[in-house]
Amino acid sequence: MVDATPRRWLPQFCSLPTLFAVMVVAELVALVLVLAPAQPERPLLPRLGVATVYVQWLALLNAVVLCSMRQPLERMSARAGFAFAWLLSVAVTALAAAVVWQIDQGLGLGLSAPFGQGRRFVLGNAAIAALISAALLRYLFVLEQWRERVRAASKAQVDALQARIRPHFLFNSMNTIASLIRTRPAEAERTVEDLADLFRAALGSGDAPGTLGEELDLMDHYLRIEKLRLGDRLSIALDVADLPRDLPLPRLLLQPLVENAIYHGIQPLADGGTVRIAGRNLPGAIEITIRNPQPTDARGATSRNGVALANIRARIEYHFGTRGELHVEPDGGEFAVTVRLPDASTDR
Amino acid sequence: MRALIVDDEPLARERLCALLGEVEGIEVVGEAATGFDALEAAVRLRPELVLLDIRMPVMDGLEAARHLEALEAPPAVIFCTAYEEHALAAFEANAVDYLVKPIRIERLRAAIGKAQRLSGATVRKIENAVEPGRRRSHLCARVRGSLVLVAVSDIDYLLAEDKYVVVHHAKGEVLIEEPLTALEDEFTGRFVRIHRNCLVALAKLAGLERTPDGRVFARIAGVAAPLEVSRRNLPALRKLVRSL
Repeated sequence: MVDATPRRWLPQFCSLPTLFAVMVVAELVALVLVLAPAQPERPLLPRLGVATVYVQWLALLNAVVLCSMRQPLERMSARAGFAFAWLLSVAVTALAAAVVWQIDQGLGLGLSAPFGQGRRFVLGNAAIAALISAALLRYLFVLEQWRERVRAASKAQVDALQARIRPHFLFNSMNTIASLIRTRPAEAERTVEDLADLFRAALGSGDAPGTLGEELDLMDHYLRIEKLRLGDRLSIALDVADLPRDLPLPRLLLQPLVENAIYHGIQPLADGGTVRIAGRNLPGAIEITIRNPQPTDARGATSRNGVALANIRARIEYHFGTRGELHVEPDGGEFAVTVRLPDASTDR
Repeated sequence: MRALIVDDEPLARERLCALLGEVEGIEVVGEAATGFDALEAAVRLRPELVLLDIRMPVMDGLEAARHLEALEAPPAVIFCTAYEEHALAAFEANAVDYLVKPIRIERLRAAIGKAQRLSGATVRKIENAVEPGRRRSHLCARVRGSLVLVAVSDIDYLLAEDKYVVVHHAKGEVLIEEPLTALEDEFTGRFVRIHRNCLVALAKLAGLERTPDGRVFARIAGVAAPLEVSRRNLPALRKLVRSL
């Protein structure tokens, strides 16, 4: 749980919504303090006024301190940061209470606590702050986590839509078709059909469910277009016959990996190479590995590759949680991406 | 006008060839599949016009254009690209003509009409706009009217002599007319300066040795004679060698 949100666990205390939440909680605390049967000799409203001023002041003071400590807190792990923020708010409250008590004694207003009970007043304040800031921090922490998750999920969806087509691929395919029309009209026709299928899937409704069989067909169409474009430079070794074709799968989960393999592994090589796609059944899961040669001088290409892979990984996590995984192994001049997805039908 | 077609996709070459066949006064004299092959073909075939794809393996179109300038009679260049937002903006900014694929014959005719020779400086400007800090994959030397390309990964060391730099590489040595400091800047991290007049490929650096008279020499893998390290560059070099 802690690892899931390494960053941004602490809310922005300087932002208006958080500040408002803090003030509302502070006001509730003031109300509770006033309503609690302790000092019946004074009327309710003035007491509420005094308590409000005091508690709001404390709350805002804490918010400002936490806001200014945001950077060092963010650098700690979520657990340590949480503990530290909590201790910080207790300490700030205790210190503020001590100061207020001193001033109160000096002015002789008698608003805080009677003479000789300063210690009790400070400790009591600190204890209340400890309880309330623990609850509030926890609440804000959970809220921030929830927001982060919603953000991640929607980002995964947007990425999914955007990552589906490299503009390069579209225009190069159009160029291929334009060229084929003159000399090989039949192949041009088939390429248009393949391209249409790819775009139908890509432009289709978000992460609409498909099946593994459909995905493998799409991959095939895609490979056919690339084969035309790259000619002899691209050879393909396909071994996916054993995979269950009716396995439900979000669309375009595998095709981008193949596209990546060609884009980074084949295209930069003058003599091309082989993309190997192999699938096998495991107990309760399927595993698909895509291998491509890794060009030695891949200047800067790996970072873009990383973006695409992170995108697919996020989608797998979004759809399958921890039951799906994607791992990458660059070994000995080859680059291999392995995707493991749960298969409920063999899970017995 | 003699034209050379350069594209890594056979079908793209085929189409461009067919289109150029319909343009009067154009004769396609050859085709090449990489920037590297294009330079060889350009030396051999002496085209007046080169249609250059941008994304190609081994050497891309931008780098090829930069090397083409070293030819005795540099050809006019038109870039062709499928989709390259940054590059297109850079071309426009430098008034360099380009075509987007699939290419229209009218656009092709218009581009040929105003095709121009590119200066190396222009191409460098475009390169910087497209990808700041990019490096060439090859250095290019002119030897008796033809071009010699040396892969940067093959270079052992670079030695400045007068206004030339001698490129010592796996298969010999060639002269190029580029200042050593510019090379040092372009290939930071790949070459290290050991002397006012010498850059050594980091990957080829085999070690340092001290002679009895107190001078320090750098040994380079595959090179018999060690190179002297200047006093000024020694501390930095020591540190580097230790970190290797």
